[in-house]
Amino acid sequence: MDHAPRPSAAPPPPPPCDAPADAARRDFLGAALQVTGGAVVLLAGLDAAASSEAHHPPPPGGDGYNWEEHRWAYVIDTSKCIGCGSCVRACKQENDVPEGFVRTWVERYISGPGGSYVDSPKGGLDGFPPVPTAFTPTKSFFVPKMCNHCKETPCVQVCPVGASYRTRDGVVMVDGKSCIGCGYCVQACPYGSRFLHPETHTAEKCTWCYHRITKGLKPACVEVCPTATRALGDMLREDDPVRHTIEHERVSIMQGHLLTEPQCFYLHLDMEVR
Amino acid sequence: MEHARHVFRVVLVVIVALAAILIGRGFLVPKSHGVFGPYRGDNVVEQMKARPPAHQGAASCTPCHKAKAEARAAGSHKSVSCEVCHAPLLRHVADGKVTGPMPVDKAFTNCARCHRKIQGRPDKFPQVVLEQHVTTRLEGAVCLECHDPHSPKL
Repeated sequence: MDHAPRPSAAPPPPPPCDAPADAARRDFLGAALQVTGGAVVLLAGLDAAASSEAHHPPPPGGDGYNWEEHRWAYVIDTSKCIGCGSCVRACKQENDVPEGFVRTWVERYISGPGGSYVDSPKGGLDGFPPVPTAFTPTKSFFVPKMCNHCKETPCVQVCPVGASYRTRDGVVMVDGKSCIGCGYCVQACPYGSRFLHPETHTAEKCTWCYHRITKGLKPACVEVCPTATRALGDMLREDDPVRHTIEHERVSIMQGHLLTEPQCFYLHLDMEVR
Repeated sequence: MEHARHVFRVVLVVIVALAAILIGRGFLVPKSHGVFGPYRGDNVVEQMKARPPAHQGAASCTPCHKAKAEARAAGSHKSVSCEVCHAPLLRHVADGKVTGPMPVDKAFTNCARCHRKIQGRPDKFPQVVLEQHVTTRLEGAVCLECHDPHSPKL
């Protein structure tokens, strides 16, 4: 360790002379260990304190909204949808969704014994054109789609930085400031409801208009739907019509075999729809 | 003794690196991480305040446009929100003050979004085959020449 040249005249260093240096080093190492160990314990303690606080955190947001008092759920009655695309337009305008992307979209299914045809031009933004089909259609219908706000969210599970999350009131959202734009969640979502914003390069998705529902308003898509195809409700409110529908009607979910527990429920969903 | 020194050095380097990582992590991970779950908790508040609600619903138009609102509420377009054909209220009014003209889409294509006969719509929903329904040229605000959009039944 000590490479300093010694005067040749001096006698070889006696052992007692080295002993304090060794002792000092030992002391230093011991102290360093104690400090780092202390730091580790301290940091672990901080984390533990944070997680113990997580059991009883103050309700976030304020402004009269407490997320413990709500649990949102969505019902789509596909038999009512006329495919006007007003929901897609309203969502775009409400949330500044970039050109070429949609947070909610409408699909059209046309099927018959001879074949089937599915389309969604621009997500249904400008409505749908008549289409000539090579087969004779026996049934055709529209299916509005969006984020299913799953309870067991594949998208949140794959996020490496904790930017995706599900709130206590049941909304799956992305923290744009933490998102690193890796796109894992975009690939993990079985419903194709996420995309990377072309300018911010972060993941974006439907938030059930969290900025509206926390103020007592309906999501923009529900607000403009002319046929009441779409509805958002609160599962913690006993007189809620959406809760009543989910609890009393025959509702289906999209891709139930994936066990994602979607909170978007469908009425009159055809087996063709995935 | 020489070997032990090497071991000491390696252990020291590992400990220093570990300490640096843990201390660095303390600075990099936001304070609110873990408070409401494994994410930056205060983002919920940011999402609540992300933007002002743009759509305000048909009821918010009534105070200024009473006649139009009453006509709409009495007609067959009673379930169609004003903002479907016009724009979100925020384009027109902010903080109770008129900020600009309210855009409206009067083109026949806007009517066609709902009423053009296509596959997919429920049969009982009123639809027309555009080419048969419009005998003049199919362009511009041709639908409004006969129909009042606020009370469209003739």
